[in-house]
Amino acid sequence: MDFAERLPLLLLAAWLTPLASFVLVVFFGKRMGNAGVGGAYVATAAIAISCGLSLIALFGWINHHGLPAPLSHHHHEEHHDDHQHDDHQHDGDEQDSHAEAAVHGSDANPDDPQATATAGFGGAAYHGQWYTLAEFGSLKLTIGYYIDALTVVMFSMVTIIATCIHFYAMGYMHEELHEVKDKEVELTTGEHLLRPGRYYRFFQYLSLFCFSMLGIVVSGNLAMTFVFWELVGICSYFLIGFYIERKSASTAANKAFIVNRVGDFGFIIGLMVVFSTIGSFDFGGEQGIFAAVRPGEEHPLTVPDSMVQASAVMHGEAAATDELTAEQLETFRGQGFGYGLLITLGLGVFCGCVGKSAQFPLHTWLPDAMEGPTPVSALVHSATMVAAGVFLVGRFYPVFAPEVLLTIAVIGCFTLFMAATIAITATDIKRVLAYSTLSQLGYMMFALGVGGWLAGMLHLITHAFFKSLLFMCSGSVIHAVHSNEMTEMGGLRKKMPVTAYTMLVGCLAIMGAGIPFLVGFSGYYSKDSIIAQALSFKQVNPGWGVMYFFAVGGAAITAFYMFRLWYMTFAGPPRNQHRYDHAHESPRVMWVPLVVLAIFATFAVFPSFNQSGLVRLLSHAEPDGIHAGHVGRLAEVTIPPEMDSHADAIHVEATMTAFTTAMLGFLLATIIYGLRKVNPDEVRQKFSPLYRFLRHKWYFDELYHVLFVVPVKMVGVGVSWFDQKVIDGAIHFLAKLMLWTSSIDEFIDRRFVDGFVNGFAKATYGVGLWLRGVQTGSVRQYVVYIVVGTILLFVLASFFLNFSLALDVN
Amino acid sequence: MNPLTEPITVTHFLIVGSIMFVSGAVCMATKRNALGVLMGIELVINGANINFVAFGSEVLARRPEFRLGLDGQMIALFVIVLAAAEAAVALAIVLNFYNNHATVDVDRADDLKG
Amino acid sequence: MENPHVLFLSLLVFLPALGALLIATPLFGKGNEELTKRFAFGFTVIVFLMSIWMAIPGASPNQFSFDGDAVSEMQMVFNLPWIPSFDINYFMGVDGISFPLIVLTTFISMLSMAASWPIKKYVKGYCILFLLLETGMIGVFMALDFFLFYVFWEVMLLPMYFLIGIWGGPRREYAAIKFFLYTLLGSVFMLIAILILYYNSDLRALSPEQLQAAHVISAVDDAAAASAANALIAAESPQHTFNILALQTLGQSTDQFSKPGLFGWSLQIWAFLLLFVGFVIKVPSVPLHTWLPDAHVEAPTPISMILAGVLLKMGGYGIIRMCYPICPEGGYSLAWFVCIIGVVSMVYGAFAALAQKDFKRMVAYSSVSHMGYVVLGLGVWSLASSVDPDYWAMGATGAMFQMLAHGISSAGMFFMVGVIYDRVHHRDLDKFGGLFAKMPIYSGLSVGIFFAGLGLPGLCGFIGEVLVTLSVWKFSVVLAVISASVVVLTAAYILWALQRVYLGAEYKGPHPEALTPITQRELWIASPLLALAILFGVYPQALLMYMTPTITRQVDQLAGWALEHEAQQQALTQDQQQEDLQKQAALAEQREEEFAITN
Repeated sequence: MDFAERLPLLLLAAWLTPLASFVLVVFFGKRMGNAGVGGAYVATAAIAISCGLSLIALFGWINHHGLPAPLSHHHHEEHHDDHQHDDHQHDGDEQDSHAEAAVHGSDANPDDPQATATAGFGGAAYHGQWYTLAEFGSLKLTIGYYIDALTVVMFSMVTIIATCIHFYAMGYMHEELHEVKDKEVELTTGEHLLRPGRYYRFFQYLSLFCFSMLGIVVSGNLAMTFVFWELVGICSYFLIGFYIERKSASTAANKAFIVNRVGDFGFIIGLMVVFSTIGSFDFGGEQGIFAAVRPGEEHPLTVPDSMVQASAVMHGEAAATDELTAEQLETFRGQGFGYGLLITLGLGVFCGCVGKSAQFPLHTWLPDAMEGPTPVSALVHSATMVAAGVFLVGRFYPVFAPEVLLTIAVIGCFTLFMAATIAITATDIKRVLAYSTLSQLGYMMFALGVGGWLAGMLHLITHAFFKSLLFMCSGSVIHAVHSNEMTEMGGLRKKMPVTAYTMLVGCLAIMGAGIPFLVGFSGYYSKDSIIAQALSFKQVNPGWGVMYFFAVGGAAITAFYMFRLWYMTFAGPPRNQHRYDHAHESPRVMWVPLVVLAIFATFAVFPSFNQSGLVRLLSHAEPDGIHAGHVGRLAEVTIPPEMDSHADAIHVEATMTAFTTAMLGFLLATIIYGLRKVNPDEVRQKFSPLYRFLRHKWYFDELYHVLFVVPVKMVGVGVSWFDQKVIDGAIHFLAKLMLWTSSIDEFIDRRFVDGFVNGFAKATYGVGLWLRGVQTGSVRQYVVYIVVGTILLFVLASFFLNFSLALDVN
Repeated sequence: MNPLTEPITVTHFLIVGSIMFVSGAVCMATKRNALGVLMGIELVINGANINFVAFGSEVLARRPEFRLGLDGQMIALFVIVLAAAEAAVALAIVLNFYNNHATVDVDRADDLKG
Repeated sequence: MENPHVLFLSLLVFLPALGALLIATPLFGKGNEELTKRFAFGFTVIVFLMSIWMAIPGASPNQFSFDGDAVSEMQMVFNLPWIPSFDINYFMGVDGISFPLIVLTTFISMLSMAASWPIKKYVKGYCILFLLLETGMIGVFMALDFFLFYVFWEVMLLPMYFLIGIWGGPRREYAAIKFFLYTLLGSVFMLIAILILYYNSDLRALSPEQLQAAHVISAVDDAAAASAANALIAAESPQHTFNILALQTLGQSTDQFSKPGLFGWSLQIWAFLLLFVGFVIKVPSVPLHTWLPDAHVEAPTPISMILAGVLLKMGGYGIIRMCYPICPEGGYSLAWFVCIIGVVSMVYGAFAALAQKDFKRMVAYSSVSHMGYVVLGLGVWSLASSVDPDYWAMGATGAMFQMLAHGISSAGMFFMVGVIYDRVHHRDLDKFGGLFAKMPIYSGLSVGIFFAGLGLPGLCGFIGEVLVTLSVWKFSVVLAVISASVVVLTAAYILWALQRVYLGAEYKGPHPEALTPITQRELWIASPLLALAILFGVYPQALLMYMTPTITRQVDQLAGWALEHEAQQQALTQDQQQEDLQKQAALAEQREEEFAITN
C-alpha cells in the first residue's frame, strides 16, 4: 500500500473515530460506569487515537514529501524549484494512482476510494471520493477528501488541542457526575434548580463536534464542507446550550445557530454558483473548481469557460444551446463576462466564513456563546468552529478574485479593531477572551485579504494553541473562584501558579512578544508576518493604507487588554477576600493540558519564521498562482505577492512597528492595572460616552434587534394576520357569498318553481270545485247526462272518425 | 222506402229496439220512484237485447258478414241473466234505501253529492 | 389469472378495505374496542409488510425490478376492462415515482394506526374509516387510469372528512368542511381537465409500439398485439382514452392537445393549469393553503400524521405524474408560475410559522414551507435545463426526495406534538418549557425529528432541500437567492419553538403532573421515524435508487420534447418573418406597378 492510498485511510480513520465514540456514548453513555463517567474515557480515548493517527499522517507526509527548504527573501525561486521537485516526485505517484483509478474505474463503482494525487496548487494534494450521496448525470454530491499539507497540519492541530480539551474537561465537568444545583436558575418556588448531571452527554457532543470539524478539514468538495459546516453549527448549538435550563444559554445557542445560518445563506449561493457554472463541487481534479479557475501552467486567475458562457446567456449575448468557440469565449471573457459570477461565488463562500468565524457583521453570536461550559469555549474559539471559517477562506483561496480579497481584508480589519476596543471594557474574563478571539480572527481574515495566505494560516494555527490555552486557563480560574467577573478576582497568582504562568505565556504569545529579529513566542512570528503583509499591501495600494494603521493599532490594544486581564486576575491584592480564600489550583488532569498547550504556544514556530517546520510545511500547501500579484477588475486594488513582505525593506519596518505598538499596549496596561498608577475609574468617567459605547459593544445587539429581529417577527405576525384575515377572510367571504347566492336561489325556488307547482294545484282545485256543481246527486239527471253524453259521443265520433255510422245493413 | 211496407228485416227490429230503449231511458230520467227507474232500466236492457237477437238471426240477416249467428243469442241470454242479477241487487238497494230513508224517491238519494 | 400482479396489487390496495368490511360485521361490537384496534393495526402491518416485500429482491414475480430498463419504466402493470363503454380500465402499476410513495403510505398508516390508541370515541367507525382511507391512498398512487385515479382520489377524501369532523378538536366541523370544500374544488378542476383530455385524445395517432408501451394493448404474443394495435389504429371513430401512459405519449408526441382553447392558450396549457390548481390545493401552496393549518390543528394526532405524511404528497405526485408528462407545453410555458408559487410558499410558510403560538399550527405552516420546495423542484424547467437536463432531473428528484423526507419528518413532528397534547391537553408554545427534564427520551427524539425538518445534514430533510435549492440557480438567480434565504427562517422558527417547549428550567403550563415519560408504544412509533430520517440522510441512495432512473427518464423525454418544441417555435417565427417579407415585397411590386401605370 503506497502513501497515496495510506494517507486517506489514515485520515479517514482519524476522522471517523470520534463519530464512533459519539454513537457509542449516545446509546450506552448512561450505562458506562457510575453516572456515565465511562463516556468521557471513550470520547477521550477516541480523540487521542485520532490525534495519534493524525500525527502519524503528519510525519508520514514529512517523511514522504520532505520539508520544503527554509524560506528566504529569495524563497520564491527556491520554492518554485522545490515545487518542480515535488511535482516531479509526484508524477510517479500520479501515474500509479491513475493506473489504479483505471482499474477501479472498470468496475464502475464511484464509491470506491480511489486515491488521485495531482500537483496541487503549491504542493502535492491527494483527492478522491469515499461515498456518493446522490448522482445526476454528470452532477454529483459526494463525500470525499482533498489532502494537502494544510489538511495534515490542521488535522494535527485540531486533534492535539481537542485531546487537551478532553482531558481538561474530564476535570472541569466533574460536577456533572452527580446532581447539579444550578445557581443561575431560580425556580418559581424560589429555590435553585436541582438536576441530574449530564457528564457523558457533554463528551458525546464533544465527539460529534470533533468529527464535524475534522470533516470540514478533510473535505474534498464544497458541498461536503457545507454538510459538516452545518454539523459544526448544530454541535455548537448543543454545546453552547449545554445548560438547557438557563434561558440565556438556550438563547445564545439559538443565536449562534441562526446567525450562522445567515452566513450559510451566502454559502448556499456560493454553492449554487459553483454547481450551476462549473458543475462540480470538487476542489481538486481536472474537473474540479481549482483547475477550472486557475488553469494552465502559471495558474492565473481565470474566469472558467462555463461561467463566461453562463454570464453571456444571462446577458442575452448567447443562447444556452450555443457552442461558443474559443475566440468568442476569449472575447466575452475580455469584456468581463462571468467575472461577476466569480465574485459572487467568492463573496458567497466568504459570507459563510463570516458567519462561522464571527466576523463583522455576523460577530454577535460569539461573545454570547460564552454561555457554554468553558472547555467548549476553548474548543469553539480555537481549534474548531471559528477556525473553520478561516480555514475555508484559506482552502478556497485560489478562487477569490481581488475584489473579494479586498472585501475580506476590509471586514477582517474592521472586526479586529472593533472587537479589540470592546475587549478593553469587558470585565467578564471569558468575554474579554471572546472579543480577543474576534479580533484575532479579524487579523487572520485581514491577512488573507491582503494576500498573506501563509501569514493568515500560520496565525490560525498559532492562535489555536494560545487561545485554547487562554480559555482553559480562564476556565481554571473560574473553576477556582466560581465567578466570571474579573472584579471579583486579583492576586490569584499565589494560589494557582501553574494557571497564572501558563496564562502569562498565552498573553505573551497573543500580544506577539519576542525579541525583534531574534526569537519570540509563536504569536510573534505570525502577527509579524501579518503586519508585514499589511505594510506591503499599503505600499501597493496607498488608498487602502489606512487598514494598516488599524492593524497596528489593534496590536497595541491586544497587548493592553490581555495584560489588563492578567493583572486584574492574578496580580495585586485580592478584590474579593472570600473568593480568594476558597481558590485553589486545579487538579492535575486540568493543568497538565495547560502546560502542554503552553509549550505549543511558545514553540510552534521554532526556531524562526523561515526555519520553522510549521511554516515550511504550510508553505508546501500554499496555493500557486497567488504569487502573481492580482489586480482587481472592478475595484482599484492590487494584491501584492506574499514573498514581497519578506523583503528586508518591509520586514524590518513591520517588525519594529509591531514590537513598538505591542510594547506600548503592554506598558499602558502595566501602568494602569499592574502598578495601579492610574485609577481606571477616573479614565472611565473621563471618557464616559466612549466607555458606554464600548461597554454596549458598539450597540450591535440593539441595532440588530431593531433592524432584523423585530422586523422579521413583525413580518411573521403580518403574514399570519394576512393568512387569517385576508386569505381566510376571502374564503369566508366566498362562503358568505355562496350563502347569499343560495338564498337568492331559495327565493327563486320558492317564488317561481314552487309557485308554478302550487299554482297548478290551485287551478286543478278550482276546476274541481267548478265541476262539483255537476254532481247533483240526482240519479235522473245522471241518466240524462249519460244519454246526452252517449249521443254527443256518437255525433263526435261521426265527425272525427272516418266511417259512416249508418251501415248499409241491407 | 217505407219500412211498414217492406218485409220484416233487421231494420224493423232495430226500430222496435230503439223505441224500447228510448222509452226506458226517458223512464229512468223522469221517474222519481226508484222502482220506476228500475223498470226503465229493464226496458233499456231489453231494447238492446232485441238488437242482439235480431243481428243473430239467420233468417233476417242478408249479408252474412254482419251476422252474429249464435253469438247474438248467447249475449242476449247473458244480458237476461245479468238483468236478473241486477234487478235483485237493485231491489235490495232500494229496500235498504227505504229502510233508511223511509222513501223510494231517488231525488232524496243525494248522500254522495259532491 | 395470467398476470400475477393483478392479485398482488389488488390485494395491496383492497386489503385495508377488506379489513374495514370485517370490522363492520357485528363481530366487533361494543366492548371490543381494544380488539378492533388490534385488528385494524394488524391489517395495516400486513399491508406494510406486503409493500416492503416488493422492495426486497427475491424469487417472487411481485418485486420491484432493477433489471436494465425496467427500473425506469412502469412495472407490475395489469390492465383489465372495467367500464368498457367509456374505455375505463382497472389499470394499475408501480414505478420509481409511485413505489416509494406507496411504501411511505403503508408505513405512515401503520404508525398512525398505532398512534390511534388514545382514540376512545366510536372506535369501530374510526377503524373502518381509517382502513378505507388507506385503500384510497394506496389506490391513488397505483392507478394508471385517470378515471380510476379520480375515483380513488374521492374515495380518500370522504373518510378524511369524517375522521376530522367526528374525532377532531373543538372546531372540527369548520375544519372538516373547509378541508372538504377546498379539496373538492380541486377535484372539480381536475375532473374538467380529465374530460378535456379524454375527449381530445385519439389513440389512432399512436404507433403500435407506442400503444404497447402504454399498455393500451396487452396481448400474449407479438402477432396478436400487432393485429390488435392495427385494428385500433384502423378504427373509424376517434378512440378516446383515460390511460395515463397513453395520454403522456399523446401529449408529448402528438399535437392533439395543442389545439387553441380559451384566450388563444392551447388546451395543454389549460389542462395543465386545471390539473395544477387541483393538485396544488392538496400540496398545499400559497394562497390555497389555509385549509391545512385548520385541518391539522383540529384533526386527531394520527390523522394529522396521515395528512402531513401522505395526503400532501398526492399533490406533488399528481404534478409529477400528470401535469408535466401529459401537458409538457403547459409546464414549459408556466414554469415561472409554478416556481414562483413554490418560492412564495416557502417564504410565506416560514414567516407564518414564526408567528404561531399554537405548536401544531406552527408545524402545519412548516409543512407549507417544506412543500414549497417540492413545487419549486418540480418546476425548475427552463430551456437551459433542457439543454442540460441534469439540473432539472436533480430538482425533480430533490422534490421527490423532499416529499418522502417531509413525509417522515412532519409525521414525526405531528406525533411528537400529539404526545404532549395527550398529556397536558394544550398546545400553547408559551406555556411549555423544561420538558427535557421531565421526558428526556421523548425530548431527545423530538429534537432529532425537528432537526430533520430543519434540514440538518445527516438527516433526511437536508438532501431534498439541498438538491432543490442547488437546481434553482440555473433556472432563475432571483428565485435561487430567495429560496436560499429560507434556511435562515427555518432555523429560526424551529429552534425558537424547541427552546420554548423543551429547554428551560421548568414547565409552567397546566397539568404538570401529567408529564410522564414516554410510553413503550410511543417510543416504538417515534424511533422508527427518527431512524428512517437518519438512514435517508446518511444513505439517500436507499431512496434515490428507486426514484432517479424513472425521474431522469421522464426529464430526458421532456427535455427532448422542449428542444423540439423550441425548434418548431423558431421555425414558425422564421416562416412568419419570411411571409412578412414576401408580403412586403409583393406590396412594393404592386406599388411600383401602380406607379408605372400612373406614369
